[in-house]
Amino acid sequence: MSKSLLIKLGLLVLAFALIPALLVGFDKGYYYQIATIAAIFMLLAASLHLVTGVAGLLHLGHAALYGVGAYVAAILGANHGIGFTLGLPLAGLSAAAIAFLVALPTMRLMSIYFAVATLGIGQMLYLVFLNWVGLTNGPNGVMLFSGINLFGLEIDSDLGIYYVVAGIVAISILVLNRLSHSYYGNALRSLREDDQCASAMGINVTVMKIQAFVISAFFAGIAGALWAYTTGYISPNDFHFSQSILILTMVVVGGLGSLPGVLIGALLLILLPEALRSVGDIRNIIVGVLMFSAILFLPKGLFGEVSALNFARRVLGQGWAAKKGEKGIGWK
Amino acid sequence: MTAILELDHLTRAFGGLKAVDDVSTQVHQGELFGLIGPNGAGKTTLFNLISGFTPPSSGEVRFKGEVITGLSAHKIAHKGMSRTFQNLRVFPNMTVFDNISVGALGMIGVGPISSLFGGKARAKDISERSYEMLERVGLADHADDLAANLSYGKRKYLEIARALAMKPDLLILDEPAAGMNDSETTELAHFITGLNKEGLTIMLVEHDMGLVMGICERLVVLASGRKIADDVPAVVRQDPGVLEAYLGGDEG
Repeated sequence: MSKSLLIKLGLLVLAFALIPALLVGFDKGYYYQIATIAAIFMLLAASLHLVTGVAGLLHLGHAALYGVGAYVAAILGANHGIGFTLGLPLAGLSAAAIAFLVALPTMRLMSIYFAVATLGIGQMLYLVFLNWVGLTNGPNGVMLFSGINLFGLEIDSDLGIYYVVAGIVAISILVLNRLSHSYYGNALRSLREDDQCASAMGINVTVMKIQAFVISAFFAGIAGALWAYTTGYISPNDFHFSQSILILTMVVVGGLGSLPGVLIGALLLILLPEALRSVGDIRNIIVGVLMFSAILFLPKGLFGEVSALNFARRVLGQGWAAKKGEKGIGWK
Repeated sequence: MTAILELDHLTRAFGGLKAVDDVSTQVHQGELFGLIGPNGAGKTTLFNLISGFTPPSSGEVRFKGEVITGLSAHKIAHKGMSRTFQNLRVFPNMTVFDNISVGALGMIGVGPISSLFGGKARAKDISERSYEMLERVGLADHADDLAANLSYGKRKYLEIARALAMKPDLLILDEPAAGMNDSETTELAHFITGLNKEGLTIMLVEHDMGLVMGICERLVVLASGRKIADDVPAVVRQDPGVLEAYLGGDEG
């Protein structure tokens, strides 16, 4: 068995067997909840990574698209009897559709203006969640009593829910991994580096940016549906601007452009505040100081892009070998 | 000889200033063609008009017999025209190999769907073509280095390799020798003539006359946006108008 296969299997075993085994050891719903939230935020960070880390578009409204997915799943589930199996893809597609409408006029904007446009759109969607009481139930939020029913199979144990969430997150991250670690990822990176130059290489810059934005929104919507189904209650504050910033921080602290980095970043920023719960409110200051020092001392992130790409090519075996015996330099 | 690129009364005005003023010429298939002119003569503007970065105020550009005026830059690239940039624009935070791959993937085409399902053949094409160009410019040992960490001269070759990875019919080099010393310029001249001998049509834009006079078969001289000469180097060298433009009439 090759080394790369062993590492892949190792990561899989860790995510699917070891974590639940540990959780069962503690035997508390609380730990399951943390593990589920961590998985959802890993997906949110991985999806923002495609737009902000790889394609280089500063996106400040990611949480609102996540909210669209959550509201669509929750409202369909609570009021229209559309369950998890259908609600999940619909949540992703709705977020993607809204992102597409938003992207059409904004994608031609230059960097900082694009950031402000996404900020505005995030705020607009937040206000819709908060004020369109007829649809979203306003500040009271939406209760979703129906559990996860996957293709007719009722999943009600903590362990089962964890498996469903972890499985969907894992598949989504594999897709995002494939997109960012491939020539498609290289094309997106070239937009980040110099989009005018990329257009001289025959790349349709606007179309590429819209694609990245829409794909990212699709996975944010999926994360939203997972959130709605696992917490059973959503309210506008779950999708506030501060959540967009939290996700962005995960991406930056983990490493802009580095998928393994942003997954570590997401884990860290969800688990650390929980682990420090015993020290009281001072934990927020500790987390803040750690984030600040991470950026100060590791400006490329915990796991920088260059090492991440080498890791994907050499260790995970996603690379193409130029000559026999030579390790990968291109993408398969 | 058939013309691969035809410029027909091209004009571009910025406000009252005509940066390019009524320029017409032809570049023939297989030719090594030079475009020179003193600083501010409108070379880069003319070049941007050809490659679709700036729309002309009037006039027409035909490439391989087809009108390409007003097409966007990426569409013109797909027709087989490839360019480098005057102030060296590589993708600094990407590796040397990945930089070159962008040239190849733009032409071969990648999309989210193909990269998820069965894009293996395309990926192989891109990899092989990129590696071929990497070896061609002698950067194979630097495949994994970040482009930002290369020396200036190597980055120039990287930019040319990236343009070549597009397998263009016409390669336009914008001041490739800028910032190079004499021996580097000579080496570059060999490299460019080598490409041309293989049948690639090349248009060379320079403000330094040395390189262009040495290797080009034919050249156009621009001054203040106007074409003042269009001939073989030996004739252009003697042209009083050209001497005037370059030397400011000091000798005359």
